[in-house]
Amino acid sequence: MLRAADQCFVCHSALGDEASRLFSRDIHHLKGVPCAGCHGGDASSADMDRAMSTNAGFRGVPKGDDISARCAACHADSAAMARLGSGLPTNQFALLQSSVHGKSSTKGSERIVQCTTCHGAHGIVAPRERTSPVNPLNVVKTCTKCHGDPAYVRAYNPSLPVDQLGKYRTSVHGKRNAAGDVNVAECASCHGSHGILASTDVKSSVYPTNIPATCGRCHSDAAYMKEYRIPTDQYAKYSRSVHGIALLQRNDLGAPACNNCHGNHGATPPGVESISKVCGTCHALNADLFAVSPHKKVFDERRLPECETCHGNHEIVAATEKLLGVSPEAVCSRCHNAQESPAAYGVAMHMRRLTDSLDAAEARAKELVEDAEQKGMEIGEAKYKLRDVRQSRLQARTMVHSLNEDQFGRTVGKGIATATWVAGEAQQAIDEFFFRRRGLGIATLIMTLLASSLYLFIRRLERAQQRGRTASSNSPIS
Amino acid sequence: MSGIWQKTYQWIDERVQLGNLVEFMGKKYVPLHRGSIWYYFGGVSLFLFIIQVVTGILLLLYYKGGEELAFESIQFVMSRVAFGWLIRSIHSWAANLFILAAFIHMFSVFFEKAYRPPREITWVTGMMMFFLALGFGFSGYLLPWNELAFFATKVGTDIAGVIPLIGKPIMVFLRGGEEVTGATLTRFFGFHVAVLPGIFTVFLAVHLLLVQRQGMSVPLGHEEVHGPSEKAMPFFPNFLLRDLLLWLLVLNLLAILAVFFPWELGKKADAFAPAPAGIRPEWYFLFMFQTLKYFPGKIWFLDGELLGIGLFGVVALLWVMVPFWDRKSALGKRNRLLNYIGIAGVFYIIVFTILGWLL
Amino acid sequence: MAMSDQPAQIPTTSKRDFLKYILGGGLIAWGTSILYPVLSYLKPPPEGGVEVTSVKVGALSSLAKDSGTIVRFGNKPVIVIRTAAGSLHAFSATCTHLDCTVQYRKDFGVIWCACHNGKYDLTGRNISGPPPRPLDEFRVVVQGDDVYISKKS
Repeated sequence: MLRAADQCFVCHSALGDEASRLFSRDIHHLKGVPCAGCHGGDASSADMDRAMSTNAGFRGVPKGDDISARCAACHADSAAMARLGSGLPTNQFALLQSSVHGKSSTKGSERIVQCTTCHGAHGIVAPRERTSPVNPLNVVKTCTKCHGDPAYVRAYNPSLPVDQLGKYRTSVHGKRNAAGDVNVAECASCHGSHGILASTDVKSSVYPTNIPATCGRCHSDAAYMKEYRIPTDQYAKYSRSVHGIALLQRNDLGAPACNNCHGNHGATPPGVESISKVCGTCHALNADLFAVSPHKKVFDERRLPECETCHGNHEIVAATEKLLGVSPEAVCSRCHNAQESPAAYGVAMHMRRLTDSLDAAEARAKELVEDAEQKGMEIGEAKYKLRDVRQSRLQARTMVHSLNEDQFGRTVGKGIATATWVAGEAQQAIDEFFFRRRGLGIATLIMTLLASSLYLFIRRLERAQQRGRTASSNSPIS
Repeated sequence: MSGIWQKTYQWIDERVQLGNLVEFMGKKYVPLHRGSIWYYFGGVSLFLFIIQVVTGILLLLYYKGGEELAFESIQFVMSRVAFGWLIRSIHSWAANLFILAAFIHMFSVFFEKAYRPPREITWVTGMMMFFLALGFGFSGYLLPWNELAFFATKVGTDIAGVIPLIGKPIMVFLRGGEEVTGATLTRFFGFHVAVLPGIFTVFLAVHLLLVQRQGMSVPLGHEEVHGPSEKAMPFFPNFLLRDLLLWLLVLNLLAILAVFFPWELGKKADAFAPAPAGIRPEWYFLFMFQTLKYFPGKIWFLDGELLGIGLFGVVALLWVMVPFWDRKSALGKRNRLLNYIGIAGVFYIIVFTILGWLL
Repeated sequence: MAMSDQPAQIPTTSKRDFLKYILGGGLIAWGTSILYPVLSYLKPPPEGGVEVTSVKVGALSSLAKDSGTIVRFGNKPVIVIRTAAGSLHAFSATCTHLDCTVQYRKDFGVIWCACHNGKYDLTGRNISGPPPRPLDEFRVVVQGDDVYISKKS
């Protein structure tokens, strides 16, 4: 929509000022939006006083929130954008206002961030241009302008880190980004661009429950990831895992999302020797036991990823007894067979037998307790002790990682002993139940005996009385 | 009589002069007629009361009053005390059988018009005992301090509070406060083991004394029985032995109920939990409870519930005073109308109890 | 004086005697079947115990400083801790993560859960690991040398 030439630009570029030099490459200029489009005034007049008169609407250099308001005057108005022939979205300003950047700055009189903070003022180009400050390859530098300045960030949130750039550059994303790959993740890919929310905000794309989906936006897209030749099934696998179910379905923030194992800004999959350390930040006991077990040295020598070898990485399911032992589905038999490693094979088999015994003892104890309860017998203490049996089972599952038969045997042994006691108590209660019924039977027998003999006694008595009466009425004496 | 019994009798006789008493007791006869079977129910009620006293005293040895310990002490009796389950279940079952037997006894007396002069006081004391028995049931029900009892007590005492003027003070007196709390439990315990037994004993003594003095009543039209005849049975030993036989069977029944239908304990009462669904009083209050449900919220300018309670009060008063206004029976004439009213009453109670149970 | 107008003649044939024996025997058996349960009932069972809104932990002197003990409260475990300074705390010993039973770790100075390394400080607050909530606190009362725990209202 080229009207008359932009007189503001004509004069000011003749003056050689920086703004118009930049503006010459600005997309607004190329689309025919004059300086007056933001600054107001009459762009068609060459006369300075007329062009820059307040009557003509000249507003000078906008300051503070006024800047974004000017941008929004067009960019938030779909009708205006349509008239200007643009298909750009128009929700940026609204998003900015509700974002964390839309809060008021330390001055108190304006927002922290204006449109120009990231996009620049005069040399605005489309993000896909190499020179745009919001081009994927430049975004990191743009954000770091503020977020890498400790003094600045401290004024808003002293605990917010300022080392994101450094960490980012160590990550796969950062390295490829530095090499010119526009498809890898940079700040805006995960945090958003206009509607950035704090990571503690439930609606934020980087809130723990949302992180898997955010990462999945690229990493689950097979077409997008084709050139990188890494799998794209992690999200699917993760959402089936115990961690995924805990985080995504139960909203348990204690469960790890992608960043807890891979890192945030310095995202890199953990190295082979450090996997048990990473898992061990939560599963400390298992990691400690593994570290002193015979497996540690062997796994490291053979470059086997420690925890992952048996438990998987993304699709970690609940570890049950099935993992232990020498059956085909057990993980032990992947390496140990009876011929080549008979000792280890024996240990695996033995440990599996022990847990099976514990399971059997627990199941039997539970069954008896339920039976006793159903019969209405009071079984509170035994039921309480079942907790300890369960505890032993859980502890045994942890103790497995030490591969120490003695320790393991002791843990399981305690559980079996308790389960046996519980079963004994429950059986006693059940026996008492039948004792009561038998006792009743005997008591009823006695009472029936007594009642019938009493009845016969009464009958005999009355017959005698009857006879006595008849005798007396027949006797002459009356 | 064998030697030792003779000697014992003589020893007591020398000191107390049992002669008159024995002679008097020997002259006691029980009339034999179509309705004689009903004579047993007074004795059965008495037997069940004695069972309650005995099992109640035994339970007292282990029961701990107060909201902290009541529930747990009953749990303790049911699970840890030898035969505790038996004693407690018998106590709970006998309570219900006692009230049932009392109902039957009361209605049989009503239909036989045994309340007519000279037995008016016997009737009145019997009615007093009946109301006390309901009080026993209501107070005893709360003692395990379980969920059902807690809310049933709340509802029951709420109803008492509806009576105008005196209702609120009565409710506060019963509850030991504005709400049902541990104080209510303490009060009910006191009522159940001390106050009610004391008052009941007085009425029982009068009732039994009168029955002994006046002898058994006969149906209208029959002549009174004062001596041996075809139509009478000596109380000692015949009727007494029969009584004992029946009591033995009732005891056996209680044992069977205790073993096969042990009394439940449920959940401990929690004042802050919402009331569970289906709160209702014990069966002997159900017909009144159900009736009140059918009264609309307001009739004319009167509160519906109040009207219902008032109605029950009036009916109860008339019922207690029946010996004094039933002129026909006093004159020895059959009172058909009263019989029909009685039958209707029995029917109403049965139907509404069933309704209350099902709905 | 007689029980009836004529003394009831009770002939003493063997049949009649037999009945009397049965009756007498039955009476004795019945009496025993009543007396046995009643007398057993009167004998107090081994545990004094009715528990549960308040539990006696034991003697204060039996609780060492800087140690923790698990006690049964009704049907739930409670951990009683005596700090190095001598003060007493009691918390529910059921871990708020997946219900394992916690313990006091002298070396950490905190309450620790063996299952997934959850840690709680001595005010019961969850300070590390997966537990999502603090432990419920119980009231500790010392009467003389006896320590009692009860539910906090």
